[in-house]
Amino acid sequence: MGSSSSSSPGRRRRRLLPLAAVVLALAPLLLAYHWARLGWRDWHYNYPATPTGYTQIVNRFGEPCNSNASAIEMPWPASDNGMTYKFRFHRKLGGYPTEVVPNKGGRSTNLDNDVYGHIQNDHLSSYTKSGIWGYFCRTISGSSSWSTHAWGIAVDISASYEPMGQCYSTVNKNFAYVFKNHGWRWGLDFCDPMHFQYAFGY
Amino acid sequence: MRRNIAGAALVVGIALVIGAFALVGDAAPGPQPPSVGPTVPQDTGAGELLVVVLGGVYPSRAEAEAANTALDFADVQGYYVVPVAQFQGLQEEVGAPGDFALVSAFRTEQGAQEFAAFAQSLGNPATILPNRVRSLGGMYAGLGQEAAPDGSGPLLRPIPESLP
Repeated sequence: MGSSSSSSPGRRRRRLLPLAAVVLALAPLLLAYHWARLGWRDWHYNYPATPTGYTQIVNRFGEPCNSNASAIEMPWPASDNGMTYKFRFHRKLGGYPTEVVPNKGGRSTNLDNDVYGHIQNDHLSSYTKSGIWGYFCRTISGSSSWSTHAWGIAVDISASYEPMGQCYSTVNKNFAYVFKNHGWRWGLDFCDPMHFQYAFGY
Repeated sequence: MRRNIAGAALVVGIALVIGAFALVGDAAPGPQPPSVGPTVPQDTGAGELLVVVLGGVYPSRAEAEAANTALDFADVQGYYVVPVAQFQGLQEEVGAPGDFALVSAFRTEQGAQEFAAFAQSLGNPATILPNRVRSLGGMYAGLGQEAAPDGSGPLLRPIPESLP
């Protein structure tokens, strides 16, 4: 009796091993099925290399406020106020036709299919809150240098929860990794947690 | 005895490793300052007829500056504090007493409309004045921060609509 009770945890563990192996093997397939059921996949199609500094930004995306900078539009609903924000961004960062994005004349799948789709499919959309903007032909606040918004390569998300100058994040921290994994830099690096930009060194 | 020697060697080894890390840490470069690109020229549009988006009128510069600081404009530039007398016709257009105004000036209607929509979406006051006003020069009020109608980049020159 005593020997059987001492070996039973070991036996149980051994019995559970095949079950764990099956679960581990099936988990990615179930996840893939779940994503595919929504008709979405992460294409990673035709991303431009993330530029560093002003010269590379201009070489890759053109002059500030050029027509390509505001060529693509996408809706992004905020979870807190029920409002759907529509904003524009650069042609090279999205608008390519996929299962969930119509052909908008874009060159890649970055923002509207891959980043947005990833956030939806990771069930993180509840963290994207009010105040969502993209292209804007303006300079950086407090300076006369062009903002990355002027190239349509920057997005502000959850602006009402993540004010500029705040060196920590309350909601955007939950999905910032998705942007980072798709070539974007998070503005928390310079105390602007609402801000994501497709550029470094600027 | 051997244990003591081994212990001492371990302590020295750890100290050396910490020292090496500290040296490397000292030598590591600091954060790179952001590169500075071309800035927006301080274009006052002197003599041009401009579309003005008004954020408010205040009796003194200090009050106007304080009100401007309190407005939330995310990480993009907002209004500029200018004397009301800087624009011919502005006093009549604003219809309120005050010597200083929060404005953003544009050459195109579209630029003004986009800015007003953005300001309002942030909960900030923004009124597009119904008639163009003539710039008499003076302080910078935001010209150059709108897209050129042909999509070539920022609008940095007069257009037919802004010329008297």
